[in-house]
Amino acid sequence: MTPASAAAHAAPATGTILKLDDVSLSFGGIKAVQGVTFDIRPSEIRAIIGPNGAGKSSVLNIINGFYRPQRGTITFKGRARSYMSPYEAARGGVARTFQNIALFKGMTTLDNILSGRLLKVRSSVFEQALQVGRAVREELDQRQHVERILDFLEIEHIRKTPVGQLPYGLQKRVELGRALAMEPDLLLLDEPMAGMNLEEKEDMCRFILDVREEFGAAIALIEHDIGVVMDLSDRIAVLEYGRLIADGAPEQVRNDPAVIAAYLGAKR
Amino acid sequence: MPTPFFVLEVALSGLLAGLLYSLVALGFVLIYKASGVFNFAQGALVLLAALVFVRATEIFDAMGPATVGFWAALLATMAVMVLVAAAIERFLLRPLVNQPPITLFMATIGLTFLIEGISQMIWGSRVYTLDLGIPDEPWIIHGLYIGKIDLFAAAVAIAMVIALAVFFQFTRIGRALRAVSDDHQAALSIGIPLNFIWVVVWSLAGMAALFAGLVWGAKLGVQFSISVVALKALPVLILGGFTSIPGVIVGGILIGVSEKLAEVFVGPVVGGAIESWFAYVLALAVLLVRPQGLFGEKIIERV
Amino acid sequence: MPAVTEEARLPDLSVRGAASDARAAPRDQATGSESDDTFPKVLLRRAKGHASDPAVREKEFGIWQSYSWSEVAEEAELLACGLASLGLERGDRVALLGANRPQFYWATYAIQSVGAIPVPIYQDSIAEEAVHILDHSGASFVLAEDQEQIDKVLSVRDHLPRLSGLIFKDPRGLRSYAEPGLRSMEEVRALGIAKRAADPSFFARAVAEGSGGDVAIICYTSGTTGKPKGVVLTFDNLIATASTMAAFEGLTGSDSVLAYLPMAWIGDHFFSYAQSALVGFPVNCPESGATLMTDLREVGPTYFFAPPRIFESILTDVTIRMENAGWIKRRLFAFFMAVARSTGVRLLEGRPVSAGQRLLYGIGRLVVYAPLLNTLGLRRLRVAYTAGEALGPEIFDFYRSLGVNLKQVYGQTESSVYVCVHANDDVRSDTVGRPAPGVEVRFSEQGELLYRSPGVFKEYYRTEDATGDAKDEGGWVRSGDAGIVTDDGHIKIIDRAKDVGRLLSGSLFAPKYIENKLKFFPSIKEAVAFGDGRQNVCAFINIELEAVGNWAERRGISFTSYADLAGRMEVYDLVSGQIEEANRSLARELQLAGAQIHRFLILPKELDADDGELTRTRKVRRRVIAERYGALIEAMYGDDDSVDFETRATFEDGRVGIVRAHVPIRQARTFAPEPVR
Repeated sequence: MTPASAAAHAAPATGTILKLDDVSLSFGGIKAVQGVTFDIRPSEIRAIIGPNGAGKSSVLNIINGFYRPQRGTITFKGRARSYMSPYEAARGGVARTFQNIALFKGMTTLDNILSGRLLKVRSSVFEQALQVGRAVREELDQRQHVERILDFLEIEHIRKTPVGQLPYGLQKRVELGRALAMEPDLLLLDEPMAGMNLEEKEDMCRFILDVREEFGAAIALIEHDIGVVMDLSDRIAVLEYGRLIADGAPEQVRNDPAVIAAYLGAKR
Repeated sequence: MPTPFFVLEVALSGLLAGLLYSLVALGFVLIYKASGVFNFAQGALVLLAALVFVRATEIFDAMGPATVGFWAALLATMAVMVLVAAAIERFLLRPLVNQPPITLFMATIGLTFLIEGISQMIWGSRVYTLDLGIPDEPWIIHGLYIGKIDLFAAAVAIAMVIALAVFFQFTRIGRALRAVSDDHQAALSIGIPLNFIWVVVWSLAGMAALFAGLVWGAKLGVQFSISVVALKALPVLILGGFTSIPGVIVGGILIGVSEKLAEVFVGPVVGGAIESWFAYVLALAVLLVRPQGLFGEKIIERV
Repeated sequence: MPAVTEEARLPDLSVRGAASDARAAPRDQATGSESDDTFPKVLLRRAKGHASDPAVREKEFGIWQSYSWSEVAEEAELLACGLASLGLERGDRVALLGANRPQFYWATYAIQSVGAIPVPIYQDSIAEEAVHILDHSGASFVLAEDQEQIDKVLSVRDHLPRLSGLIFKDPRGLRSYAEPGLRSMEEVRALGIAKRAADPSFFARAVAEGSGGDVAIICYTSGTTGKPKGVVLTFDNLIATASTMAAFEGLTGSDSVLAYLPMAWIGDHFFSYAQSALVGFPVNCPESGATLMTDLREVGPTYFFAPPRIFESILTDVTIRMENAGWIKRRLFAFFMAVARSTGVRLLEGRPVSAGQRLLYGIGRLVVYAPLLNTLGLRRLRVAYTAGEALGPEIFDFYRSLGVNLKQVYGQTESSVYVCVHANDDVRSDTVGRPAPGVEVRFSEQGELLYRSPGVFKEYYRTEDATGDAKDEGGWVRSGDAGIVTDDGHIKIIDRAKDVGRLLSGSLFAPKYIENKLKFFPSIKEAVAFGDGRQNVCAFINIELEAVGNWAERRGISFTSYADLAGRMEVYDLVSGQIEEANRSLARELQLAGAQIHRFLILPKELDADDGELTRTRKVRRRVIAERYGALIEAMYGDDDSVDFETRATFEDGRVGIVRAHVPIRQARTFAPEPVR
């Protein structure tokens, strides 16, 4: 079973969970993102591709609240705004992974994933400190939730290992686990397969498809492996020099002359 | 030859003094843990807290009975420290987010001069006395002299360390603090409000500074040299490890006891005044053997 | 040489006489009445008599979950009813494709209950391997663990017209599949509930219909040559052997095992299913392959089987850990290990030991052995078996000196596991013990071991001529192994019968025997010896990357890859010394003294199952190797002291590439024959 046929089975729901409208971002004189408009539908796998420096990561960072765009609106779950802070984004159900892996290196796999559930804590500081009341029950629930994620990502064996000691491929998986622990509605994956070997890539593809199926999250991913992107995604947005030059289903994008010229052409 | 009894007494006084070092060092550890920054301004915060407390006591004493005045002054000083923390976050840390630790370290040096400068403008450079209402005469237990104020300091230090350890280990904010200290971006992405966390951390450091300031001030009077004395915390940190709260206690006690004992045993040989430098030599020795300190986390990273 | 099955040497035990005598075999006390002649019947009795005892445990979500015998019986019933309502009939074959999960053991009961036959398949087999077994067995259903296994079957489904149903345990990733006949185990179970409601006595009737002569299981053996063959075993075969051996080892319901070896391997079926049912001890399923060592520690089994590589890797692990430990620990360990070596084995075997030694050993147990065994999860072990490739005597004695009752078994799938086994007080690391209770053994003129027992298989499934080749009318089975009997009546397996050859000088050449001697060295991972019809013996060596890499690092020898390390002169020196040691020991065995290693080389690439150079059970495929490395072999028999070579290799990431290397060849010292003692 190829990822493509699995993707074809799960038709994404209609409507949008997130929409960027004419969003622009610049650092000093550099225009990282220029008037980009695109949307993400619930439960869809949405790829963002483009040459290096095309502004892909900047788009994720805007969605996630790391960057404040100078122009445009961000509509998330029906609410329009000019900027969404990281806290708001996380609260609202946006989770992410990073291109260069941002894990809490001194903590174990378990604690890393557990950290993804910090926002879910409801008990008071005093209950937590004294380990009474709601805090106890909550602690168990959190742990149970994390165990399911460990099982899902097949990383039970590194439960108690400090993540700094793990090989790269497993660190990426732990990072995905932490994002999943947030029970996201929108998952942003910044090059989830960079630096992986073939087997690890296949595993990651399977996890991404399964995440959509099991957790129902929409996924926006940046990836350089075009084969993977074509197989995996429902829709692909193509950026070049901060502009959106094409957007649509994989077939459509593959045959788009602008994309061939700008992106695929650049690769040759 | 000193009698065993005398040695015990010296060790005990060293232990109590050491806990006082711990109290100062605690402020450093908190901020180091949460931001990886060595906060040079911790000494200045101790001074500031003591001065604010002195002024607040004057104001409240004028308004009512002394006991009420003490507590009111304490609360007021706490409030000021929180405000200071918020200001530091807003005007110092937020603009410098994602900068390397060395930049932040430089910023805290600047902060030190700023705080000292402002304090001097407001309070001048005279020595204030600070009365905690703890009588000066020591308890004598089986012939052992124990300073009440030292005992008070020790109790405060231990209580704070226990409270903080529990806070870090079990509460959401405590866990968030650990996350923040590890990776800012990742912490932001899981919804940890970084700004709030920093205010919390600096406030806690402010509280540690306040208690240290109270005790030091009561013992030595509130004066500008307090901020220099705070540097005694450095060897404590090196010994205990920059990231370990329990390490701060052990480090403080080790420094306190060993420098007092060294004063007695080695002091006469080298001509005294050993207390001013012994701690640093000890710290240096530890650095050579165990760079991460006795309790610090070993830095393990896969290459 | 006729095709005789190749299978891991397993313990094989049989009772005197043919399969029909099985019922005369001693039964474990727990086994009970005569009518318990199938495993489903045994299960039903257990569910009545020992309803709440634990039958199987599984670690899931970080916690050990336990299922009692009555729960297992319930699950088996529902699955059986569900499968029946999907059309499964008596005599149908059902393939099982997955890791050791409780559900698969339940399914085995369920399949047998309705008179169908389980056909377990190695979960790591590639699609082409699986398709042969699925096709040959004519399986009508496949029970697969997860998406990975289902995908594997779907990729070859076109070739499997008889396959009507695919059932999966783990629905992850499969919800959106729209394949006909694909359903979850949950759904089958739900069908079972409906079926039971409609026909409450169905299950009991179906179970009662079964009898001891029925086929219990078909196990396909991996085989070093040709296609795998399906070994058909009856309930009588398995029950006779399993209960005899349980009595021989004194197994009781308070024992426990860890089910971690492939379910397709007869051993797992035997220890984790047959004996568990007959004796009533619980089976523990690990969380995943990767957590095995943790799970082993948590479970602390009393009855344990492991192939030599597991015992080797545990020992390597201990050694490395000790090397990195502080000096006090290291000294303590070294001292008490010396005590253990001199005393432990004697104590274990009840031989006389001085009071002082006894005291020292007692202290050693307190401070070293017990804590060590505890961390390894071997503390509670009463019976530990190893089989397959030979285990180095030092390794063997290491465990025994710590008080682990480690024993060799020798057997085959065809013998229902046992042929020979060590008795508790009669263990020698260089033999496989004496014939197991109920097994008769003799040798052919060519030195091939023949056996007869109640455990002897019925036939090879749909391969009559192979059956005839392997088993004669008298019930004697050709093991395919060459063996000798020692003075004290132990049996020593020296090689595959067909691999034993002769040098030009007429001297006996047993390649595996030589290779095993080499593999006892921790730095040698694989060895392939050549010599049949040649002047003398030469060998290929594969070094153990971890051990040699460690060794190299400690000496400040830097290397970039396996091939680089393998070509180092320092490594050649290391290996050369070990080959000389092996030669010295060969010189002491009269029959084999002529076959010492003259020249060798270290292969620049690791032999790999993915390249077809090893079987899945990590046995060398001589023919493939002889073909692929022909140039290297000829070079070894030439005069040059090096050779240039290139070959195809499958890399870790699945890419296939070419390995090129300049391979040195070394001469090894040989020794004059020197009779023992």
